[in-house]
Amino acid sequence: MKVDLYNYIRAAQKMNRRQMLKGTAAMGAVAMMPKGAAHADGHASVRAEILKIPGVGAGSPTDSDWQKVGEMCLGATKENVTEGEFAGVELTFMGLNNQNLHNFLFRGFLKPWEAYTGAKINWIDLAQADYNARLQQSIATGTVDFDIVEMGAPFEGDVLGRGMASEMPDWVKEQIDMDDYVDYLKAPVGTWDGKTYRVSIDGDCHTFAYRKDYFGEGSLTGRDVPTTWQEINEVSKELVGKEDPLTGLPAHGYLDPLKGWGGFGFYFLENRASAYAKHPNSPAWLFDPETMKPMVNNPAWVQAIQDVMDLIEAGAYPADQINADPGTTAFQQFLAGTGSMLMWWGDVGSSARTSDTSVVGDVVGFGINPASDRVYNAKDGVWEETLNEAPNMAYIGWGVYVMATVEGDEKKKKAAWSAAAHLGGKDLSLWASAYPSGFQPYRQSHFQFEEWEEAGYDRAFVEDYLGSNADSYNHPNAAIEPRIPGIFQYYSVAEDELAKGYAGQYGSAQETADAIAAAWEKITDQIGRDSQIALYKASLGL
Amino acid sequence: MSTEGDLLHTVTADDISDRRRATGRALVWGSAALFFGLALMQFAHDTDRTTLGFDTWRPVLFAYLLWATALCAAQVIVNGEKGKRTLFVLPAALFVISLVVFPLLFALYISFTDWNLASLNGPQPNGWDNMRQMWSDAFYWNALKNMVYYVLAVTVEYVIAFGLALLLNAQIRARKFFRVVFLLPLMLSPVAVSWMVGKSMLEVRFGPVSRIVREMGFEPSFFGTPEIARFMIMAMDAWTFIPFMMIMLLAGLQALPREVIEASKVDGATGWQSFKEVIFPLMLPVSVTAIVIRIIFKLKLADIIINVTSGGPGGATDSVTSFIFREYRDRSNVGYGTLLAMVYLVLIVIFITLLLKLVSRFMERPA
Repeated sequence: MKVDLYNYIRAAQKMNRRQMLKGTAAMGAVAMMPKGAAHADGHASVRAEILKIPGVGAGSPTDSDWQKVGEMCLGATKENVTEGEFAGVELTFMGLNNQNLHNFLFRGFLKPWEAYTGAKINWIDLAQADYNARLQQSIATGTVDFDIVEMGAPFEGDVLGRGMASEMPDWVKEQIDMDDYVDYLKAPVGTWDGKTYRVSIDGDCHTFAYRKDYFGEGSLTGRDVPTTWQEINEVSKELVGKEDPLTGLPAHGYLDPLKGWGGFGFYFLENRASAYAKHPNSPAWLFDPETMKPMVNNPAWVQAIQDVMDLIEAGAYPADQINADPGTTAFQQFLAGTGSMLMWWGDVGSSARTSDTSVVGDVVGFGINPASDRVYNAKDGVWEETLNEAPNMAYIGWGVYVMATVEGDEKKKKAAWSAAAHLGGKDLSLWASAYPSGFQPYRQSHFQFEEWEEAGYDRAFVEDYLGSNADSYNHPNAAIEPRIPGIFQYYSVAEDELAKGYAGQYGSAQETADAIAAAWEKITDQIGRDSQIALYKASLGL
Repeated sequence: MSTEGDLLHTVTADDISDRRRATGRALVWGSAALFFGLALMQFAHDTDRTTLGFDTWRPVLFAYLLWATALCAAQVIVNGEKGKRTLFVLPAALFVISLVVFPLLFALYISFTDWNLASLNGPQPNGWDNMRQMWSDAFYWNALKNMVYYVLAVTVEYVIAFGLALLLNAQIRARKFFRVVFLLPLMLSPVAVSWMVGKSMLEVRFGPVSRIVREMGFEPSFFGTPEIARFMIMAMDAWTFIPFMMIMLLAGLQALPREVIEASKVDGATGWQSFKEVIFPLMLPVSVTAIVIRIIFKLKLADIIINVTSGGPGGATDSVTSFIFREYRDRSNVGYGTLLAMVYLVLIVIFITLLLKLVSRFMERPA
């Protein structure tokens, strides 16, 4: 769970002493039970027990809690590994140290695993800003000095495409119960050429956040919450000249970030474009998988760019929007009461109620990526007048991968996979999604809300907020990111061209889109068209 | 002991045998041959011309270190006492060659390849392709054009810095206090300035400056239009670096011969006349130095732009360095990015050389 969401729930629920004691008493009772009884319904009780560490409302978990959880979730490992089996094995794990989470948690989780198996893990901790460069340089210079890596799915093209990772053994698939993953994290995500490589530990997607005081009866607009991009543009234009009910400043509709964000800003044009461009008849919506010809200048994408240009033209954005990146739209605008609609990752939902600078906590609602009332069929080159929904699975989330450095040493390989499987275990991941870890829920079993309720969470909030994630994850027409080498290069150059287009330096949306397409063609040629085609197809599972 | 030649600087006169000289030379040439031999073999190995070779270039590096050590040792073996004197400088020279000349040559090679970190093939020489791409790259030329604006802004900075230096040189109250206060912006990192000023004080919605502007009845937008955005970047950069010019000029002012200025006063010159005819001409060498150094700083301008506008709106504030940064960090485009940097380096060298040539006559203090 994201830290701020956890803090919110803790604060919002104001867990009282009685509730706390109830939890503690239950723990005590469990501890006093004879061993046999505790194992009677082992699996279910482990889940209930770990959710009580340290207990919702009992402060942020510490290293000793992580170790306890790691210890209690060792059951699955013990079924596949005998005690001391990996004695003498040393592994190196490269991951992040964001917010003192990620690797810090993994250390705690893996400590009991190390004690049981006899293996030793060395750690490479990286700040988020250093991560991409370190990974890319390691790959490009052939200096991979780690055996296990925490990595986002967009880099799978760079790593899996080069055969630098170790294929997941079947026993790991069973141990981590991959069938439990939400639909979009199942193959082809995590796979390459039909082989599986990724132990998922996180899920990611963009969801829609809106202000309830702008929509519904007696609200500022008097309209229902927009469900299509067409409605969003209409209402955004209608709001010009009106006053925000919370702040008394000018009211605004949808907040598009018009400034780049190191490539990440392109995800936000994708939110609009996916509804127009992601036709259910094909997983491809950014490139033609046969030729790698960019689709970014087809009528669907041009419509998305045109939508933004229309709102610029209508003066529907806040002043200086040309200089607003996604961080600004979310944290300095939407949460601070400017604008009424936004697409973002889960953080916005949680920050809405926990951040000191947020004024929209009581009036924020969530939904999935808006639809379009027509969709472009790229295969036939025609618009189809049917409603199309296509949630944008932006970034796809973190996973744990084992590098090919372990190949050739069976003991080391098994040890590395066992460590990865432990981190991506079904029970352990429930704890990680319920407590501050930096990770979102990503398994069907994470959405069993009664488990959360039993652990002491407010069911209404959990259901409302996580529901929008679950609906996006399991959507049959989810728009999945292409996991090809250099995907962020494409995004970054597109941001530069979009900035020119939005600043009026190109004649039209079509010209802007053509400029992006031309720049993408250059990148494809530079990286190698044939290999990109092959890797793109592989990533789409074609 | 010899009784001829440079006796003053000779501690001992070595009697070096021919055999010893030959050994020294063999040491140098032998290690050089090993170094070049290994380098050639490794190059052939990397370009798939032979299977003979190593996984990495590290053995070649060791051979280079061996050659460097042999070269140093040979100085003493061949030249004896005189060689020891060479040893005081030679390691430093080799160090510079290793860390400056070699990387520069390597960068030159990289800049003529299509090296993209995401490419499966690694760096492949691509002739003049990068140069052609640069020629038609509107973003690069736009950034160069912006650099002209940014460099021109130095003249305004100079005028302000000179004014402040004159003020701080005058007999004013709390002079020392003001000198420290006026230096403070220089002590701030430009990254801090971009966040504290660009992203906080000038933030459109809640920034205090924006509020004042709104109170005055205007709608604030500091980075919305190309001209204003460029001006704001210039202003923030100027705020950070004017103190630097100011302190150089102040040092110059304090070093001026007082008798000349006093003489001008005795001759009845007004304040303006004494500035125009005496102080300013005397200050020219310091002024030119300050301006040239400031221009060199300015040509590296990137941090404020990257943090505040990312080059926007529509490239209006992009500097060459911030554009190359995007090409490198966001697009891992090492080959093209290096070429842009090399071209920029050449442009800077030409520009600074011409500038120095042009101002050289001002650099000497008038007699």
